[in-house]
Amino acid sequence: MTSRRKLLRFVPGLVGGLTLVLLALGAPAAAYHTNFTANCNNWWLNSGPVTRYEARSYAYVAAGEGYQWGGGCWNNNNLDDSPGDPPRDPNTRGEGPDCSGFTFKTWFERSETTDPWFRYHYWQQNVHGPYTAADFKNGAGAANTTWPKASTFYMDAFASTYHIGMIYWANTSYNQDRIIEAKCEACGTGTWPRTYRGNPDYSGVRRLYWQ
Amino acid sequence: MKKTWRWPLAGFVLGGLVGATFLTVNVVGASSPAPAGVTGSSFGEILHTPPLLAHAGEAVELRYDVVCGQVKDEPGGACTPKGSVFVRASGASEFVEQPLEREPDGLLSAEVPTGHGGFDYYAELDNGRGETATLPEAAAAAPEHVWPLATWTTVDLGSEQFGETRPPSSIVSELTWGKGSQALGLDSGQEQSRIGPSAFDVAPDGSIVVLDQVNHRLLTLQPGGATAQVPIDFAGGEGDLAVGGDGKIYVLDAGGSQPVVRSFSPAGDLIAGTPLAETTADMVRVGPDGPLVHAYPSEMWLPTGPGRPPLAPEQQLAGAQAARSVDGGLAVVVSASPAEARFALVRGGEVVHSWLVRSPTSLGEVQLAEPFGDGLLVVVRLWNESQAQFRVLRLAPDELAGTFAVDRTEWAETASVSRFRLRGSTLYQLRSAPSGVEIATFEIGGTR
Repeated sequence: MTSRRKLLRFVPGLVGGLTLVLLALGAPAAAYHTNFTANCNNWWLNSGPVTRYEARSYAYVAAGEGYQWGGGCWNNNNLDDSPGDPPRDPNTRGEGPDCSGFTFKTWFERSETTDPWFRYHYWQQNVHGPYTAADFKNGAGAANTTWPKASTFYMDAFASTYHIGMIYWANTSYNQDRIIEAKCEACGTGTWPRTYRGNPDYSGVRRLYWQ
Repeated sequence: MKKTWRWPLAGFVLGGLVGATFLTVNVVGASSPAPAGVTGSSFGEILHTPPLLAHAGEAVELRYDVVCGQVKDEPGGACTPKGSVFVRASGASEFVEQPLEREPDGLLSAEVPTGHGGFDYYAELDNGRGETATLPEAAAAAPEHVWPLATWTTVDLGSEQFGETRPPSSIVSELTWGKGSQALGLDSGQEQSRIGPSAFDVAPDGSIVVLDQVNHRLLTLQPGGATAQVPIDFAGGEGDLAVGGDGKIYVLDAGGSQPVVRSFSPAGDLIAGTPLAETTADMVRVGPDGPLVHAYPSEMWLPTGPGRPPLAPEQQLAGAQAARSVDGGLAVVVSASPAEARFALVRGGEVVHSWLVRSPTSLGEVQLAEPFGDGLLVVVRLWNESQAQFRVLRLAPDELAGTFAVDRTEWAETASVSRFRLRGSTLYQLRSAPSGVEIATFEIGGTR
């Protein structure tokens, strides 16, 4: 067989093999392109009541980390380790919580909705919890209740049907609230001045039984 | 195996190996997350709302809190901060230390007499873990300030009548949601905020420049109806925008852990960009000497420089001021709470005019406070649990010269205090609905 004939038989095989591998492995790999959650865990421990102060310190660690719809796992390197994930896709397996998952973990809540007691969720425990923002807005779960917005206190929350954020520091000089929240894929998780308190879309929500 | 299959099979195997190698290097290797369990060692954050405006002769309470953050991923995370405020009466040269005392609610506080000249102050706090920080960061070099109010104009708004709003004088622009030249980006979905264009401003030629950060661009709406687009870098989800008298455009990119301010020529060419000295910011406005950014946790106005090179973070901290400088050697001071909003025009340490606005209806955020005639034009939210609207106040030196209410029309989120802009005697409002965005105007001259 001449070299030219060998080459003519080799090249189609090369192209075929390359195409097959890229299609078989490349598409799912791209869909999970950072695969941050591969290093997450399911570690938690039950505890007695904690203070609002401790909850805020816990939340502060997530500030600067990412946002992931349906997510709940982050580290503390002040960096979104999965930037630019396609939004609204829970299968991107990126870093960070979404708004309701962040509130669930920060409020030391338990997945059993009839149990109002406390549970420590490790930063990299990949758990979202059973509540949506709308559930929190309605005071769903034994640990939660609705609360007048004018009487809220730090680490209470403001919730709408589509978003929830917790009060980090109330009443700035322009009379906003600094809110700690998992905001959006481009925003990540952090603290920002917001006007949720005066927006009728939002209701006040309180986690009960703080120490 | 037939010999005729050898070469195609060899090619197939080699192609597969090349593909697998490519994916391993470019997908898996590039995306390995940071190692788990990294522990932080930073101070955390001092929390404080500066009182800014206090009745002359009365004491004012300075209150602080500290968020230490968890050092380890385990229950706890509490710390025991302590510290002092350093106070200097206006006209004095030395700061005097005054220890902060722990209140029953856990905050640290100190009562400081306002006197009749006001005072400068800064705090130095130890987080109980051997780390210290000051607020503001430049401490004595650029301290916070409290102005004394000896006389003021009280404006009692009475209970807000919701629904009695003034219709706009005109709608100068209407755009749909989307990516085209007559559209603005909307970032929405389940379990996240509904985020539209963050901010806008009116250029000297009457064009309206919109920060369409969802589409990573500035969209300019020209008076004749034409639009122009300028692509911009924008890393975060929201920000703010201001246009100077010379047409330069300043964009605050407030996302992530490090806000950035970028300046653009009137044509949209990037002039410069600089990181902000503080970690959080909500407003950029143009002062007599260039852009000023309202930053946290200090709540001071940081200059970032009008041109190239911009001011570095340490220069920003050194130039920080508690009041926002405006033309004529004046500055605007805002200090609002749910029961009362205080406003002042100041010149240095002197209060030129001041106003106390009260209502039995809860006051929300101050959306706008700009010089107008001899006084101020203010837009403030009023709200209860189920209703809200904005109230426009024309504050003349000795009276409320006019007021009217404006529908909130805020289906999508903007930057928190960027819904209104004032140019001349026209107030502009960025409004949103499920169908899109509109820019409405209100002529101030006819206020009742």
